[in-house]
Amino acid sequence: MSILAHRDYRADQTFDAEVVVVGTGAGGAVAGAELAEAGRDVLFVEEGSYHPTSSLNPYLTESIPRLYRDAGATIIMGRPPIPYAEGRCVGGSTLVNGGMTWRAPERVLMEWETLTGQPDLGPKALAPFFDRVEERIHAKPQHPASVGEDSRLLEEGARRLGWRYEHNRRAQDRCVGSNQCLTGCPTGAKQSTLLSYMPRALSFGARCLTEVRIHKLWIERGRCVGVFGKAVNPHTRRCDIDIRVRSKAVVVSCGAVQTPYLLLGHRWGRRNPQLGKNFLCHPNAKVVAIYPFDIHAWQGVSQGGQIREFLDEGIVMAENAVPPGTAAAQIPVLGEEALELMQQYNRMAMTGVLVEDSRAGTVTRGFDAPLARYSISAYDHERFLRGIRLLATLHFEMGAKQVVLPFSNMPIANSADDLRRIEQTQRSRSTIELFTVHLMGTCRMGGNRRTSVVNLRGELWDLPGCYVADASLFPTAVGVNPQVTIMALATMVAQRVEVPN
Amino acid sequence: MVTSPVLQRHPEDSWALAAPRTVSPRTRRVLLALADAIIPTSPRTETTLTDVTRHALVCLQYMPRSSAIVFLAGMRLLNWSPLWRLRGVRPLTRLSRDEARRHLLAVTRSRWLPVRLLMYGPLGLFMSTYFDQDYAHRSINYDPVPFIEGRIELRRKWVEGEEPGTDQEIHHLPVVPP
Repeated sequence: MSILAHRDYRADQTFDAEVVVVGTGAGGAVAGAELAEAGRDVLFVEEGSYHPTSSLNPYLTESIPRLYRDAGATIIMGRPPIPYAEGRCVGGSTLVNGGMTWRAPERVLMEWETLTGQPDLGPKALAPFFDRVEERIHAKPQHPASVGEDSRLLEEGARRLGWRYEHNRRAQDRCVGSNQCLTGCPTGAKQSTLLSYMPRALSFGARCLTEVRIHKLWIERGRCVGVFGKAVNPHTRRCDIDIRVRSKAVVVSCGAVQTPYLLLGHRWGRRNPQLGKNFLCHPNAKVVAIYPFDIHAWQGVSQGGQIREFLDEGIVMAENAVPPGTAAAQIPVLGEEALELMQQYNRMAMTGVLVEDSRAGTVTRGFDAPLARYSISAYDHERFLRGIRLLATLHFEMGAKQVVLPFSNMPIANSADDLRRIEQTQRSRSTIELFTVHLMGTCRMGGNRRTSVVNLRGELWDLPGCYVADASLFPTAVGVNPQVTIMALATMVAQRVEVPN
Repeated sequence: MVTSPVLQRHPEDSWALAAPRTVSPRTRRVLLALADAIIPTSPRTETTLTDVTRHALVCLQYMPRSSAIVFLAGMRLLNWSPLWRLRGVRPLTRLSRDEARRHLLAVTRSRWLPVRLLMYGPLGLFMSTYFDQDYAHRSINYDPVPFIEGRIELRRKWVEGEEPGTDQEIHHLPVVPP
């Protein structure tokens, strides 16, 4: 037995393990693999299913329900509301992300060191963890044969405007730029945890229960000793089989929205005021340029590099081609007008502006799902307007004939002159359309129980035996793609998990 | 080891899409009317509308129950958008496709955020399903499978020791303007 699914479970089944890890994404897979390698008996529990590389395809109607939480229909409520996406499958979000491996910048880690009052989260202490992770996921630059025209266009635009452009380092082994990162890499090049950490963990004897949603922690005499879950029937989507896992330690790695949702269910008697607070999400705005010539942005790596000229202001720009179904869902036109616009799909350069959060939101428990609330601040809004204007200017500089803007009341700019109207027309935060894929910070790590949720071992201050290893540990936003930072922290937590005899 | 994906629409990995959510005939009519107004009129096949709405009902099965209920309630509210926008007394199901589309476009571009929010779900679900079909791909000259197959072959050779050369680079731009 290595990977089990719904069809394999019997009614009211109990499993035993030394450590149960909930989740198999960037946090869970890494923590579990490290623990298994250290000789622990590890059992993963994953809500999604196992989809081998040979089953991945470029079709959204198959991939979205298979690989994404809630079939991609997840939203953060606020001003404006922000749709978000996260993986729900073995591999978690690493299976459907771009695989960028930017380390958290030094200034961020220095801030973490200051905030926690301990050196553990500083650049020096975390460097060996970053090194270890990067080696295991093959973090390296792209081969020229994998880079597409949209990446070259953005790089050339940045060069002309005198902006700093940096090539991405990605978790990939001989990536050939098939551009299917968002629907799961069908070539096997992207080193998601499905291909890197999970096989490693299984080779050290770990086991994995898939299609099981954990709804409760098992607590005895004030200590976490396991989890209660229900297996999800893939045909009816009903939770119909009770599953229990008894263990000596529990590592919760469900991401920055689901982890606090699970922990908040046990808040009675444990009133940590920080749990679910400090929710950060790196909101993004899409800027789609239409050129008078073919670019075929769907050929070549999904993101070749980033414009980092404005990183000190918390603004990053990059290209990120999405399939036509995703592109069409974001354009504010219907019917034949939508088709007319989509017929220019091969001429589209799909780019975006990421802004580092200056304000935090919250995650609370809704009726039967987490409720994430977050509104951008006036300062973030200003930076979005600036970033969008700058990125659209680059496109016009490179010869774009039209730019689709993320504003409900000004969806199209036909020339650089139109961009002057952005500041005048965009006074309200309600007219900007954002999305995100980076969710962080709801169980912040720290050295003080009043200002953090978990200690520097990753263990909840008020629930011994329960550890957190995912992006919810972040004390502040990282301002860059968080995958490798999550993995580094998960490695650190795994080395500090205490398993009682 | 390099795996050999088959890139099929319905891959054999012993996993199946959930059965669509059961809804009343009235709700089904509302979904059909909304899909008809949102997606392009052509190209379509005889089953396009039922396929698109069926997939929306499948996706609802993957959402929390409360989200699915809110989504369906939003659809019913959209159906009566002519009434609450004070532009008519008949629901979208009783209007022609063009009239319904005009109403929905106005909702999509409304200055009021909660009103615009009603269109997030149907626009996302119906458009992404429609533009994922082979006939829609053909109409926009998008054909990913041969390209991906070529890239898989390229990687296979690379794994065997043959590193890609400059002739394997991806180039399309005729001229980058000065």
